[in-house]
Amino acid sequence: MIQTNSKEMIAMLLAGGQGSRLGVLTNNVAKPAVPFGGKYRIIDFPLSNCVNSGIDTIGVLTQYQPLELNAYIGNGQPWDLDRLYGGVSILPPYVKGSEGEWYKGTANAIYQNIHFIEMYRPKYVLILSGDHIYKMNYDLMLKHHKEKNADCTIAVLKVPIEEASRFGVMNADDNLKIYEFEEKPKEPKSNLVSMGVYIFTWDKLKEFLIKDEGNKNSDNDFGKNIIPAMLEEGQNLYAYEYNGYWKDVGTVESLWEANMDLLNPNVPIELNDPPWKIYSRNGILPPQCIGENAKLHNSSISEGCKIDGEVENSIIFPGVIIEKDVIVSNSIIMPSTIIESGSLIEYSIIASNVVIEKNSQIGLNKKPILNNEKREITVIGQELIITEGTIVPAGVMVDKSILEKGA
Amino acid sequence: MMSNVLGLIFSYSERENLREMTKTRTLASLPFGGKYRIIDFILSNYVNSAIYDIFILTRNNYHSLVDHLGSGKEWDLTRKRGGLRILSPFSNPGSNETGVYKGTIEALSRNMHSIRRSMAEYIVISGSSILCQMNFQDILKSHIERNADITVAYTRAMNGCNIIPQGVNLLKMDEDERIHDLIINNDDINAQDVTCDIGVIVLKKSLLESLVADAMSYGRYDFYRDIIQRLSSTLNILGYECKNHIFEISSVTGYMQANMNLLNEDVRKNAFVQPIYTKVKDSVPAIYLEGCHVKNSIISDGCKIEGSVENSILSRGVKIGKGAIVKNSIIMQNAEIMKTVILDHVILDKDVMVRENRHITGHDTYPVVIEKFSIV
Repeated sequence: MIQTNSKEMIAMLLAGGQGSRLGVLTNNVAKPAVPFGGKYRIIDFPLSNCVNSGIDTIGVLTQYQPLELNAYIGNGQPWDLDRLYGGVSILPPYVKGSEGEWYKGTANAIYQNIHFIEMYRPKYVLILSGDHIYKMNYDLMLKHHKEKNADCTIAVLKVPIEEASRFGVMNADDNLKIYEFEEKPKEPKSNLVSMGVYIFTWDKLKEFLIKDEGNKNSDNDFGKNIIPAMLEEGQNLYAYEYNGYWKDVGTVESLWEANMDLLNPNVPIELNDPPWKIYSRNGILPPQCIGENAKLHNSSISEGCKIDGEVENSIIFPGVIIEKDVIVSNSIIMPSTIIESGSLIEYSIIASNVVIEKNSQIGLNKKPILNNEKREITVIGQELIITEGTIVPAGVMVDKSILEKGA
Repeated sequence: MMSNVLGLIFSYSERENLREMTKTRTLASLPFGGKYRIIDFILSNYVNSAIYDIFILTRNNYHSLVDHLGSGKEWDLTRKRGGLRILSPFSNPGSNETGVYKGTIEALSRNMHSIRRSMAEYIVISGSSILCQMNFQDILKSHIERNADITVAYTRAMNGCNIIPQGVNLLKMDEDERIHDLIINNDDINAQDVTCDIGVIVLKKSLLESLVADAMSYGRYDFYRDIIQRLSSTLNILGYECKNHIFEISSVTGYMQANMNLLNEDVRKNAFVQPIYTKVKDSVPAIYLEGCHVKNSIISDGCKIEGSVENSILSRGVKIGKGAIVKNSIIMQNAEIMKTVILDHVILDKDVMVRENRHITGHDTYPVVIEKFSIV
């Protein structure tokens, strides 16, 4: 085994989930590879946070539809993770001896990679998931972990108490020591909810992973099994409060909202932040070209785009073509999609490589819109062709090409 | 087959006059086409033609080029076999020669120790003042098939240039494209029926070595005059026509024109038919705020636009304030244009700040150039 010095902390990024609530958007890709924010993918956020926090060794655990994610991460160079020792490693499930198995749960996925972690002899292990948008300095969290002499530190967020029941709630004392953990409680006792970011002292985690693996009734899940087991045995679990922007983008609505948050100056997520850049793999594309007939309002547009229509409150990813007499409003148009002239797109997420032919209407709302009513989001899946003049009503999720006209 | 080719790029031009723009940088690192620099177009030609062994000859002010290129990773040129090497000028210990070369031949001669070490059989030379999307496989194939000693790429019309700038080499050829004479254009002339050299030359490395050694021993320093012109009767020197769009960048008006030509869709398609690689900056996408009006412009990542932009080229990270009007201008990286400024026919270099209410107007024939780091 090649070894030099040990790493103080390495990160394990759980990127194997299907993200079924994103529907057609994750038909062909794992959730962490879903495009976000005009040029990024969701996984760029935890990866960049790691690198910016000084973590240079990351294992990415993949299972569901890993091809695009693997190709995207590659050797990790865009995130500065092409290292002589460490860097980024893709960790799919593999055959061991005569048998092998899928990752049964989040804890099992780490358990199956104990050897990978031991290669770096870390003192601490950071467990992350690939479905949240936030900027966080994990180094400060590690400092907190050491100060408290904790066995496990869980990053928590304060939410309005009425929303807490959607999350895993941490009940902690004044010293932030956690005495109880409740997964999605009906009547939450606290408004501190878990962000799915954990730091474990590795020796402790290893001990509990092995124990958990021996328990046949366990779901091998961090939230359901490992954390409660550690609490039961009186380990030191501490909460670490995070005050910035954090958003779970596990549903179509939350993905749409998180994208729109980037256009809202009142939401505290600023990506144009030189000391804390979000890195991503860049396509080799020329700068964007804005045509004679373009009208742009409060929108974010990326490289390689050709815009000749009207774009309002929208996020346009690289390589998108918007022809003239098109109106795109409150929508997210993912890479390399073409929207032909005369089309109207509103409150929609159009996945990558879609062609929307002339005079189509996507996200058409037939009912009158009441004030403050949440608009339904329309989703068009990857690589589909929507034929000329098609009308797709609001709230529909399209997963195969519409080649005939119809309402 | 292409692994036996070495690319040689002259990062400077002996005839350019780009005023303040090349005061602190060599020509090859001049920003061009929004987020690019001139060298990006040249290097991409090589990389897209599968030539991965490249030397860049520098003369002075090349620090910005070194900074831009780094290890060459972004051009896929960080390699064990070949890769990118910058040949910087040096003076030999004990000699009082300075790093400044007397001409292209001396530059080649002084760097011959590196060139000789390359295992390549052929050399493809490029200059930095004329850009053109070119497949070097094709010119090399033609060079070998036609049994040429030297192949010189030329264009029939400086596309988009109304005049042929001073200093361009005009080639005289017979019907078989054999070059029998070369004249150096000494006045800006109309571009009618002339064949202009575009700075791309193909020849065998062994021939280059002997030609350079020979010329040096006679104290001849100019590749075009002292090799191509002087030896046109003895060597088989052939022309090779490049039909793609040409960007000629040796004067401020030429630079302006070349940038503006990119606003034409056909020119743009031609220029970007192959990927053009450049340094990755991880900037955020461009943001268009309420009240902006953008028409017929090229905008790069990281820009934040609240004002009006028309017929202009914006590099990365440019800020345009409310009520500002930017027309027919080139704005380089991180320039900041504050509220209600009016710019017309202006070239703002990197990190320039134009304060509120300033009006700057140049003209087609004489664009205003504002030097790097200026505050207006």
